[in-house]
Amino acid sequence: MNIESPLLAHPLLVESLRPEVTIIVGILLLIIVPNLGNATFRIPMTQFRIPVFLGGERFRATSDPLIPGVISMFTLLLAMASSLMTFVEGAALSTVCISANGAIQQGCAGSSDYILRSDAFSRIFTSIFNFALLVGTAAMINRMPAKADAKAPHPDSSDSFKARAIRVLLNNRRQGDFHLLVLFVALGMSIVALSTNLFLLFVGLELASLAIYVLVAFMKEENTSGEAATKYFLTGSVASAITLYGMSLLYIWSGSATDYASATLNLTGPQGLAATWAGMETLDPLAAIGFGMLLVGFGFKVSAVPFHFAAPDAYSGTSSPMASILATASKAMGFAALLRVLVVMTGPEFGSAAFWLPLLGILSVITMTWGNLAALSTQNPKRMLAYSSVAHAGYLLAALAALGSGLASESVNELLITAVVFHLLVLAFFKSGAFLVLTMTEIRDDSSSMESLYGLGRRDPIIAVAMFVFMLALAGVPPLSGFLSKFLVIDGIISASTGSGSISATGAIAWLSSVHWIFWLAISMALNSALSLFYYLRIGQVMFFEKSKSILPLPDAPMIRITVILCLILTVIAGIGPFSQTLVDMATMAAQHLLKV
Amino acid sequence: MNELEILTLTPLFAGLFLLLIYEVVPSSTKKQAVDLIKYANMGIAVLLFGLATQIGLENDWLSTWSAGSFGAQGSYLLESEYTSLIPSIGVNWHVGIDALSYPMIWLTTLLIPISMLVQWDAPKGAQFHSLILLMEGALLGVFAVLDLFLFYVYWELTLVPMFFLILVWGGEDRRYAAMKFFIYTFAASILMLIGILIVYFHSSPVSGISGTLTHHHFDIPLLMQQSSLISSAGLRTVVFLLMLVGFATKMPSVPVHTWLPDAHVQAPTAGSMLLAGVMLKMGAYGFLRIAVSLFPQETITMIPLLVFLGMASLFYGAWVCLGQTNLKRMVAYSSVSHMGLIFLGIATMQPLGIAGALFMMFAHGIISPLLFAVCGSFKHHYHTLEIGSMRGLAHHSPFMAGHMMLGWMASLGLPLMAGFVAEVAIMIAFWMTFGWWVLIPALTLILTAGYYLWSMQRTIFESGDPHHGILPDTMHGEKPRDVTWHENAGMFILGCLAILFGILPALFFEMMSNWSTGLVSEIMIDALTALGVTP
Repeated sequence: MNIESPLLAHPLLVESLRPEVTIIVGILLLIIVPNLGNATFRIPMTQFRIPVFLGGERFRATSDPLIPGVISMFTLLLAMASSLMTFVEGAALSTVCISANGAIQQGCAGSSDYILRSDAFSRIFTSIFNFALLVGTAAMINRMPAKADAKAPHPDSSDSFKARAIRVLLNNRRQGDFHLLVLFVALGMSIVALSTNLFLLFVGLELASLAIYVLVAFMKEENTSGEAATKYFLTGSVASAITLYGMSLLYIWSGSATDYASATLNLTGPQGLAATWAGMETLDPLAAIGFGMLLVGFGFKVSAVPFHFAAPDAYSGTSSPMASILATASKAMGFAALLRVLVVMTGPEFGSAAFWLPLLGILSVITMTWGNLAALSTQNPKRMLAYSSVAHAGYLLAALAALGSGLASESVNELLITAVVFHLLVLAFFKSGAFLVLTMTEIRDDSSSMESLYGLGRRDPIIAVAMFVFMLALAGVPPLSGFLSKFLVIDGIISASTGSGSISATGAIAWLSSVHWIFWLAISMALNSALSLFYYLRIGQVMFFEKSKSILPLPDAPMIRITVILCLILTVIAGIGPFSQTLVDMATMAAQHLLKV
Repeated sequence: MNELEILTLTPLFAGLFLLLIYEVVPSSTKKQAVDLIKYANMGIAVLLFGLATQIGLENDWLSTWSAGSFGAQGSYLLESEYTSLIPSIGVNWHVGIDALSYPMIWLTTLLIPISMLVQWDAPKGAQFHSLILLMEGALLGVFAVLDLFLFYVYWELTLVPMFFLILVWGGEDRRYAAMKFFIYTFAASILMLIGILIVYFHSSPVSGISGTLTHHHFDIPLLMQQSSLISSAGLRTVVFLLMLVGFATKMPSVPVHTWLPDAHVQAPTAGSMLLAGVMLKMGAYGFLRIAVSLFPQETITMIPLLVFLGMASLFYGAWVCLGQTNLKRMVAYSSVSHMGLIFLGIATMQPLGIAGALFMMFAHGIISPLLFAVCGSFKHHYHTLEIGSMRGLAHHSPFMAGHMMLGWMASLGLPLMAGFVAEVAIMIAFWMTFGWWVLIPALTLILTAGYYLWSMQRTIFESGDPHHGILPDTMHGEKPRDVTWHENAGMFILGCLAILFGILPALFFEMMSNWSTGLVSEIMIDALTALGVTP
């Protein structure tokens, strides 16, 4: 493989990968800054001492335990802003492709076997990841408060006081680790969103996953964290292994039986998987099995039934900010990968259904129904949110199934992808918001029982109202953003199933029997939404009508408060008004870019 | 921003603001804040009433208002520009009033300050009055918007303040009543939403108004202009029935009326007044505005169903009233009975009958709050609602007895009072359409007179001892009192209006008959022709 141009020196590289470069700089800063000290190097045989700054006695200002959090927040903020710049600059300028041989090209016209592609689709997902991680980080600043002047407890002090002092010391020690891992998650997820090569995609997936496994276990003084992380790690690594095996099968399949030189994991290009798939006359079992195994790993990430079993345990065991990252960023990553593979590689021709249509259709119905039924019967708000996350995965899988039906025209396909992307986008507002409210209850007591929310309306009316709005948005009550995203999904499915979207059979019954079965996915979504209202409203009921056990007000937690209010505002204005249109336009642009690949 | 938009949006935002401001004032100044917030609420409500009246005065009470073809875009008074709220799916802020909505808007702005006045001494007054103002915002929104989506949002929004009014300020069994009220009406409106969505999916694209992604829109005037909205007759019937269930539950009509007595008995007085006065009218309003206007053919084919529902409500409501021992429950069932007359009026398909139904909505909106105000003060001062446990009210509380008598007489349809005008109009139109069938509703009105007179006789008079009367046990030796000044003032205004609109119905009847003439001549005739019937 000959390098055509010096890749690293290419001006387009940094320009097109600004968010990722920002994150890498952030990672380096996180490693270096807290370790700055007054160490010097004495030139041998002289008395000259040259300061090397790394090591020695660390500087007071830079070793402050607050510093890592600040660095990571600024990094994520910058990365998010530079991701969003794509939409300001416009599509043509910011679509950049990087090939395996180092060629880098703006516009992606000629180079079709690229492995990384920075376009509106990948950038909207990096924006979602960075926003969700930013929210989690902001919450962690109060969840794991750092105190610069923490001291070891006095031996005579009481046990509870000792425990608190030790926890403060512990928090100070691990601030750096936490934020470093968060930035690794951000980097891995960005790679997933960018890559059009399955192997690179796997690398990104694993980079993010491994960091997430550690983060799930991060609050190690709590018993549940370790258990949750173990379960999550075991199932997650099995899912990853299956994915990898599926990829290897696809790799073998892509080459001819004797000549492996043409084998590739690239999705695009003349010899890429997409072209091979399209050229396949009958379904090759090798390809089908490989593809199916691929779906297992992605299904685990989006917590679709039957790969969802670890999700409720992981969500309820870990700290709430981490659960919010799992429910928003990690899920969005799974869908980014799913969309890339499903649409680019196996997207059906107009008029012929994809072979995975029945599979995905049935899975989506089971996923949404299972999620909602399980959420109805749980008494733990975090588990409830986890199951609601499963149900939401079901709604989005229904949209993907409609994509696979091959019934939809280009514009309806665009609408469906827009709906999925928009849903993931607004999910980062209200799902994160809900978990942040749980974080506030978690700081002093725990958040794993409904009692922790009892009487929240009296303890802290504004936060309770915010939580109620998040619940309504999750349930899809108009005019909040959750409604708009669900409505777009339903509209897309109905438009796809009825062809043009207008109904012309004479009788209602005759029409119902003539319609394609994916129409029932929309009906099942509507019924499930009605069902889900019960458990979402239950949160409102316990917050406003039950007597609280604790008379203490919620902790101050200014960062969380600000972020909750921000999420609240975004939840509302993303559903109605010009801002919602801006977001929908962004999602549409992403959908167009995805379909163009 | 025109006057109508100011009228619609002010109470919503002011109510929310006042509700929040009370939460954030420091506890040392809460006492003064309560008074200030109560006066602010009352002031805003009175100003809004002034604004609504001003709109009527400026336009000659809409009696000569006409522009464009019936119901179409541009035919509404103070119609706002289209402002895209959710451009991707075609939701537009579009408000306007016509002779169907104006009486309801005027009535809402009138009843809000009066209900505040009647319960001026309510506990937790700041929140109570702010919720009522919020309620006004939601109700005015329902009557003003011309977009199906916003109509649905406002429709559901009215549930929230009413739910809290019942839940926090209600009687002993308030929790049950509030939940029943919420679940019942919410479930029904979901059916309505399904109907709305089916309509939405059949709207044809209009550039600038339809959704950028979905190419459909929710705009009622444009939907009315669209020829052959849903081509499948079967689906049209389904949509019409879905909407009928949604609206009939709100009205409420037999057999989906059972939430009403519970909600009324448990609700605070002001809540009952608004519930009976305006919220029930939302059902009839929505039925006329959406179901009848968009699906005239189905309305005509469903006339037997409407007549049946109307008759059933009228008769069943009156029959059950005869057996009630609880004063408020009786008044609640009398509402069911009167709402039946609205269906009968619409079913006549005569301009006179529909105008009568509209006037019934209006008159019942004046009279039933008076009845509930009387019930509320009765409960307030005598701690019971049992008919017959208290005799000789006229002796102990002459003012209350006077208001009660006036209200009861107005409600049973005494000539020269508002209810009479509506009943007569509906009966005449019913006779014109259905002939001697009119005897059934006409004779049922005797039952109405029966239960009202009977309850009056057993409450106001019949003391046996003209100097003492019989006091209920719940008084526990307390001295009987008369109504307080604010209750008296509120009931006095309502009583005067009940008489005023009985003597001068033309003030509103004129515009109502204009509207119903338009509906019949421009929409119903076409529908009849389409059905192959010669009118």
